Amino acid sequence: MTIIMKKPLLSAAVLLLAAALCVVSLASDFRAMQEREPIYPGPGVTSVRMLSDWFPGIYGTPGDTEVYILEGKKPGSAMLVLGGTHANEPSGMLAATLLVENAQPEEGTLYVITHTNQTGFTCTDPQEAAPMRFTIDTPAGPRWFRYGSRASNPIYQWPDPEIYVHASSGQQLSGSETRNLNRAYPGRPDGTLTEKIAYAITELIRTEKIAVEVDLHEASPEYPTINAIVAHENAMGLASDSLINMQLEGMDISLEPSPKNLHGLSHREIGDFTDAYALLMETSNPAQGRLRGRTDEHLVVTGQDKFYLKAFGYGRLYVPYDENGHPISQRVARHVTGIAAFANSYTEMNLGGERGGINLGTLPGYEELESDIGPYLCPKA
Amino acid sequence: MQIECIVFFVMLGVFLLGNFLLKLPVSLSMVAGAVAGALAAGDGIPLRHLFEGTFVYLDTVLIIATAMIFMTVVQEAGTLDALAEVIVSRFYKVPAVMLVLLMIIVMFPGMVTGSSTASVLSAGAIVAPILLLMGLPAPTAGAFLAIGAVLGMAAPPVNIPAMLITGGVDMPYIGFEGPLFTLTIGSGVIAALFLGLRHCRNLDYRVIGRELDHETGKKYGLKLYLPLVLLICLMLACRLFPNVVPTLGMPLIFLISAAVGCFTGRRFPIAASIREAMRTTVPVLGKLMGVGMFIQVMTLTGVRGFIVDSCLGLPAALLYLAICTVMPAFGAVSSYGSASVLGVPFMLALLSTGNQTVIAASLAFIVCMGDLMPPTALAGNYAAQIVKERYSKVLPQCAVPVLVCILMGLAFLLNSGSLGFLVP
Amino acid sequence: MLYLYLGIILFLLVLIVWNMMTEKNLMVQIDAALVIVPLVLRLLLIK
Repeated sequence: MTIIMKKPLLSAAVLLLAAALCVVSLASDFRAMQEREPIYPGPGVTSVRMLSDWFPGIYGTPGDTEVYILEGKKPGSAMLVLGGTHANEPSGMLAATLLVENAQPEEGTLYVITHTNQTGFTCTDPQEAAPMRFTIDTPAGPRWFRYGSRASNPIYQWPDPEIYVHASSGQQLSGSETRNLNRAYPGRPDGTLTEKIAYAITELIRTEKIAVEVDLHEASPEYPTINAIVAHENAMGLASDSLINMQLEGMDISLEPSPKNLHGLSHREIGDFTDAYALLMETSNPAQGRLRGRTDEHLVVTGQDKFYLKAFGYGRLYVPYDENGHPISQRVARHVTGIAAFANSYTEMNLGGERGGINLGTLPGYEELESDIGPYLCPKA
Repeated sequence: MQIECIVFFVMLGVFLLGNFLLKLPVSLSMVAGAVAGALAAGDGIPLRHLFEGTFVYLDTVLIIATAMIFMTVVQEAGTLDALAEVIVSRFYKVPAVMLVLLMIIVMFPGMVTGSSTASVLSAGAIVAPILLLMGLPAPTAGAFLAIGAVLGMAAPPVNIPAMLITGGVDMPYIGFEGPLFTLTIGSGVIAALFLGLRHCRNLDYRVIGRELDHETGKKYGLKLYLPLVLLICLMLACRLFPNVVPTLGMPLIFLISAAVGCFTGRRFPIAASIREAMRTTVPVLGKLMGVGMFIQVMTLTGVRGFIVDSCLGLPAALLYLAICTVMPAFGAVSSYGSASVLGVPFMLALLSTGNQTVIAASLAFIVCMGDLMPPTALAGNYAAQIVKERYSKVLPQCAVPVLVCILMGLAFLLNSGSLGFLVP
Repeated sequence: MLYLYLGIILFLLVLIVWNMMTEKNLMVQIDAALVIVPLVLRLLLIK
């Protein structure tokens, strides 16, 4: 169709004005994601530092993020928990937040990063139609959190190359993976922002002699590695002992070895490049899957989806799925129970030797959390 | 009927109504379809979702716009005329070899960048006048370029749909050279000969020679080729030495080469030519924006899940049929989208049926055919534009080669277990 | 590289707006307006 304008300048001006109004309206929507959800450090937090303390190269950048340190009453080994590596996998960030607000270690030191890729929380992925926020009901009222992107925000790291070449292995991945923190380990001091964040985490692990590192993730229910622990070969003993304890608590979970030819992932590179036992946990998040129906806050929180129910019926899923879905409380419960089990096994197996063990104190149990995480995430005045 | 199914029909209906009945451009019909879908699903007019969806194509917009500028510059400067003259005068005696050579030339930029648009707008522009001179009718020449471009996109070393599929199942992008090379070169040779040979069995150089520009090449000499040489060198350097050469990206490479091209050949009005290049590009860019909005609303309302779920619920035989039809058809909105949205679940469904690398390669190969599907059809649209023909005339010419490609892909899928030897 | 690419966006925006001002077909003008919005949002580092 061709509509010839007698006064093209006038129509152009009107359209430019309309575009400007769109930009103004959209800017306020998109900028809203820069507002950070409040985190309320609990009684166990002894200090809060910034990740840039371990690598000044990210100081003042949007990649810098809080590291919560929870020193136990007794000295012992150190454990690092990474939540929010992928901001579209919210149970990791919530589990880490729950630890910061509730854990009171007895022995050893717990380091927790709730928003490991801070920039991922400042945007959502195009064409994924994800909600920008979701709400958890707590006894003190609703509490909001951001639902972000799998990758770093492109406004801080752009353009992507056509091909992402992982620096230390030469492995090739599609260009957009260049902003995926869990493809950037062990990182580079002079690399992209994402590689620098990975490098800072590796430096933290080396400097603080972290003994156990746990990276919290989620995957879609149709993905084979799900409801699973992925462990570096050095950490297989620790992971299998913990696995038994988790299964005793009623969790259906499996153990997968970290593939040796898949590079850039925390369980591979942190295991190879540091002395830490590198572990990663996956829970099932239907809100990031390709089979999901309507994408909204309800799906993020309840994990209920009719298409996943159908897909389970014809055997396309790797996890059991019923009309109760995979609620976020259950997913957070899995992560918290896993972290506690790793700490217990580490201590029981005496892997720390003279350095001592890791005792995270009393944490809510699996069933308690599975029924409701709200009481453990109460906003404080 | 499920709400997602109703929303899907509303979106499709409004798009078709706008495009065919009201004769609105594809871009606006897509926007109208997206808005109607959101309204039908009770989401109002979700401005944030509409424009967020367009961001998937931001990098593509830059590649297309800068590639068009580059193509205009090398055309105006006389580089293409001179190159056509060199190739035709060297190879006119062996048209079959020339056709295969031209096919590989069209494929080359796609092999290096993984982009069919880059292929068609750089090498396609070089090859098009030669094909026309050889006697190929414009629609057939357009089909030649379009097929070459998608095969280039599918050919190793860089196949982005394969990377998206492997990324989705956490499989390394290793060992794809064998299966992808066999699939693309095999079908490239078949397509080149099928489309071209019957039109140029007996080339008469005296007739063709009259059409060629013999002067520009002589007048400006080798420096005329500098923008092309620079383009190829920069593409290769970024790919071969990623740790030494900074990643410039295709848009910057196109612009640098275009800038050089402004001073190495015939003089031409630079500003006016670049503006004209952009004028012809804006409708295609608008189309991409419409497609971006359409997909985002499909995801928001659950229509995307409805389609994927419906495909995966099919029994085995129909699953393969869906792979061969729905996956390329989804390319009508976006072939990368198709790789990610459909390719990954299909890959997961077929994981245990044979060699995983061959399966992923075959799926990625079939996905690439989606770049010829209207309304987006980036490769097809630009190929048509280059040979100054309507895409609706070019598309039927692509049918047989595309069918051959899909059947080859299917054969690889079905026999992936025994084709494991292609993976080192 | 980020700023170089923002420069490319600015360059393209100028070309698109210039074309929009002189384009007589309203449909193409609307296409241009659709393209302008994401380009401006990236140029301003908003999205």
